[in-house]
Amino acid sequence: MTRQAWLGFGFLAPATLFVVAFFLAPVVMTGFFAFTNMSTATGITGGTYRITEGVISRLAGSEDVPAPLIEALGQQQSVVDPTGLAALAQGDFDAAFVAELEEELGGRTFASQRELEGAIRDLDNRPRRVRDIKAAAELFERSVLNVDFATQADFAEAIQAYAGPVPDTAMTALARAAYTGWSMTTDNFSRLFNSPELGTVAVNTVFYIFATLTLFNTGFALVLAITTFYLPSRQASFFRTVWLLPRISPPVLYVLLWKWLAWDTGFLNAVLEPLGVAGRNWMFDSETSAWTFVILINGFVGASMGMIILSSAIRAIPQPILYASAVDGAGRLQQIRHIILPQLRWPLLFITSYQTLSLLTSFEYILLSTDGGPGSTTEVWALAAYHTALRNYAGNLQYGYGAAMALVLVVFGIAMSFVYLRLFNFKALVGRPRIEQ
Amino acid sequence: MRSERTWPITVLLAAASLPLLVMYAYLILDTFTDSAPGAVFPNRFTLEHWRFLTERQGSRASIWQATLNTFIFATSTTALVLFISSTAGYALSRLAMPFRRLFLGGVLILHAFPTITLIIAIFLILQMLGLYNTLTGVILVKASLELPFGIWIMKGFYDTVPWEIEMSGIQDGAGRFQVWRELVLPMVYPGILALGIFSFLSGWSEFILPQVLAPDASVQTLSVYMASLIFDDQNFNFNLFKSVGLFYMIPVIILYLVFQKYLMNIYGGGTKG
Amino acid sequence: MIIRPLRTALLAGTALVMATAAHAQDYTITVWAGGSNDNDIYRITAIEMAADILEREMEILGEEISITVDGRYNFASWDDFKQSVTLAAEAGTGPNIVVTSHGDIAPWAQAGIIRPIEDYIDLDSWPVTDIYPNLMEISSFEGVQWGLPQDAESRPFFFWIPHLEAIGYTAEQIEALPAAVEAGEYTLYDVLEDAAAIQEAGLVEPGLGFYPRVSNGPDYWQFYLSFGGEIQDPETGHLVLDTEAMTGFYQFFADAVAAGVTRQAHIGTPWDQWYAEVASGIAGLWHGGTWHYARYTGREGLEDFFGNVQFTLIPAGAEGVGRSNTITHPLVYLVTSTGDEDTAFIAAELIKIASEPRINSLHAIKSAHLAIAESQSEIDLYRGDRWAREATERLLPHASAMPNHVRFGEYWDLMWGGLESVWSGQKSAEEAVADLEVAVVNALGDDIIVR
Repeated sequence: MTRQAWLGFGFLAPATLFVVAFFLAPVVMTGFFAFTNMSTATGITGGTYRITEGVISRLAGSEDVPAPLIEALGQQQSVVDPTGLAALAQGDFDAAFVAELEEELGGRTFASQRELEGAIRDLDNRPRRVRDIKAAAELFERSVLNVDFATQADFAEAIQAYAGPVPDTAMTALARAAYTGWSMTTDNFSRLFNSPELGTVAVNTVFYIFATLTLFNTGFALVLAITTFYLPSRQASFFRTVWLLPRISPPVLYVLLWKWLAWDTGFLNAVLEPLGVAGRNWMFDSETSAWTFVILINGFVGASMGMIILSSAIRAIPQPILYASAVDGAGRLQQIRHIILPQLRWPLLFITSYQTLSLLTSFEYILLSTDGGPGSTTEVWALAAYHTALRNYAGNLQYGYGAAMALVLVVFGIAMSFVYLRLFNFKALVGRPRIEQ
Repeated sequence: MRSERTWPITVLLAAASLPLLVMYAYLILDTFTDSAPGAVFPNRFTLEHWRFLTERQGSRASIWQATLNTFIFATSTTALVLFISSTAGYALSRLAMPFRRLFLGGVLILHAFPTITLIIAIFLILQMLGLYNTLTGVILVKASLELPFGIWIMKGFYDTVPWEIEMSGIQDGAGRFQVWRELVLPMVYPGILALGIFSFLSGWSEFILPQVLAPDASVQTLSVYMASLIFDDQNFNFNLFKSVGLFYMIPVIILYLVFQKYLMNIYGGGTKG
Repeated sequence: MIIRPLRTALLAGTALVMATAAHAQDYTITVWAGGSNDNDIYRITAIEMAADILEREMEILGEEISITVDGRYNFASWDDFKQSVTLAAEAGTGPNIVVTSHGDIAPWAQAGIIRPIEDYIDLDSWPVTDIYPNLMEISSFEGVQWGLPQDAESRPFFFWIPHLEAIGYTAEQIEALPAAVEAGEYTLYDVLEDAAAIQEAGLVEPGLGFYPRVSNGPDYWQFYLSFGGEIQDPETGHLVLDTEAMTGFYQFFADAVAAGVTRQAHIGTPWDQWYAEVASGIAGLWHGGTWHYARYTGREGLEDFFGNVQFTLIPAGAEGVGRSNTITHPLVYLVTSTGDEDTAFIAAELIKIASEPRINSLHAIKSAHLAIAESQSEIDLYRGDRWAREATERLLPHASAMPNHVRFGEYWDLMWGGLESVWSGQKSAEEAVADLEVAVVNALGDDIIVR
């Protein structure tokens, strides 16, 4: 390799490191998570093995695990046996207590640790602190119910120690039922494609992108670019400044201002009520009003990018052409139609493609304004993925299913990027360097 | 041709801009006045909406802590993005190296990528690195997600630097690194400045990343602070929210007034909706 | 429930603590309280008070400890709170104590985010023995006592008395309403009728006659119960979808919208707006929670609550259908897996002390929640409060709770999605229930029984 190549890799190394660690790795992981049933309950990093009442009831009627074994595993048992007593003597307990416990309770069996604790509490030489009583009682627990095991080997060992030899098939079935972590599955995708709700969400998404794009990101952007072109420069720059405000304002603040406009105690009502319009919360009044605000909020932000790009494209039109047309007596509308608009074809295509992608994936403004409401009428795909993966009223976040929804967007986004790359002539963008050393 | 009458256009644009004008005018007005319920115009001057500067709101951190966090977050992200983009952009623009097309194509695709949908996986990575709920973690993530855009912009600026400058540097016996450092870099200062302002504003405004990845009071940024105020249905007070909002926006306004020209430039290639 | 290999180490640890008892030990206990605002500050303050008591107790035992309580509330929403807790716990940086819905116990227990409190305190000691057994049951899961109840509440139906009077109710009839609801004589369809009458009389704007909760919440399961639904099968512990009850429930809200007494775009209405409207007679009939009392009479400035508002159980679905009911959705104190065993013992002890009647009553009265223990009704602060007294008598005996089931959250999400689609008119009740049936079987498989 040349020195230049080494320098190039050196120059790219920090970028590569960052992008791989926090960008590509998450992409790969999202792809992976999409094929798991990962949730809050299963944990992300894996689970443990634990027999609980729930596991016992799920195992009932199992063909692989014999019923007596299931019943035995469901029992809790504390036995004051020699092993436990020896451990007790080894521990840092008062000798009088150890002796009394052996004498009073030795050989007895208790149906739960709680009962044993009760018995210990009644001893004359009992430890003073609850914690020490629990530590002592712990030594006599002989069952596996509600005990956590970090690995399958530990689990199997404890079960065999408690219930005697267990056939392999039964042990496998037990371990599967007792595992609290996640497993691989393709259920997310069948669920995704069969879900009528997501169908609605998909329709919402298409509507949202189409409406915002045509009305504001290209439509109104075009109006802004052309009108400001004809205005005196001071006025033009004033309007451009105003329309850039939404983009530079922090979204939290920008959306707040819209809320203030639309709220039941807000500005719109203060203006309209004296005119006889009944007060209401305009952002949540109906499906139509909610969509109107969602599109306005996003559109007012989106219009500025188009405005800037199209303005500079118009300014790039050679002045003589415009003068010539004016001399020919063309009115403004004809000038716009025959000279300006044809020049804006490519910039418009660029804006459309670029902003389709960003509208598809950005949900910040909707999250902050309607959060998909009222009901779920303004829920779009990216927001639904966020809701599924990171919002759950019942505390059980659906990471796996959410990742599957995200993956759909990822695949879509990559596919569209490839199309755009072809469209905008990738080769021209990567012209070969002219210094070859 | 510009001598034709323009007032209809002015009126049309003013009408379309009215919501914005009203919203931003009242943003300022409402922070130091009170209005009667349902009234359009304020009736009382007051500074009580600014009490949040000295009083803590519930169990939230103080506004100054949040401001400091936001400042650290925005400046660190900017520094990282600038440093990394200015080297990587140069390599992609100018250096003959294997896999250059692959890198460039990668950058272009990532440039318009549904980043936010990756947040669960990003969380997991931060957790493995022990960086969840830290400013460092969310800074690294924000910078990384911003990089493809930064690199792409810087590449664009490098592309406009005439080859002759480098040729002559090399003929004078300098290495490529030295040429970059001493001859090319100064030529793209406008690009660095523009990208810097953009990154700072983007970091300053960022909401979802800190909200999910650094929600603790001690590392909260202003956006998270403000959102938690707004969503607290017990204390719904637009005047307070706007005062916090105006405070939050002061650096944005200053940057905007000073660097308007550069901003117009870079938002032409903007990243969001 | 301790990972076995750790147990031996634990014992050694205990011994160590005993040996080094003379040293002052510093503990920092972080407490995160979800769904809490300034009224609910005692969820944290109670732990601080408990810390003071525990420090003194330990000092008498010859151990000097110093406990710092670091409290956090004011989360933007329940969703934000749960996101923060679960992600922080996954990263090992979560709080030591959480105050959350009992419904979180099941998934969080499976996830290993929380520790069973029964491993850390003596359940056979006061004040635990004094806590209502049904609340103890609600804070346990699969036979394990995971937490202690932090408060109790109930979700009543509310009527704006002046509006009822205006449509012809006599004072006696209003007085007798709670009994009529309880007996199933006044049903949800009477609610629709009265709401329509109130609107026709021009007392409230269209769509505000019946003004339900504005967001997802346990409240909506009450309407499923009203139509005779059952959420969990007591025999097998599986979740239950009773299609008939679910259809009745969905159909009721469809009918409310069709009758024009509830707005089609009601869900998502901001809370601050909603509170202001129901507390001032802008709405007619609504349902809420016992803790709303604090908000209505406090921030919203409703001075004569009992003169303006009548409250009852949630009525039965229709004549002869289902039953009147109310759901109590207690919050629970849970010890998380964050931190070492020592800290967990301290945290659990603090929870136990904070559950003493006098301390708990501070929270109950300040935030208008209900008592967790019998003896609280003998504490003057509690007994002297008319709301606490009446709500306890009228509602609590009939209160049921939602099940603690790992996958209940998914069922809940789907139920809610179905209700939204009916409410907004996208589907009929029958279609929505048919889709729901497909969806729950799709998502939950054997964990749900469809009837």
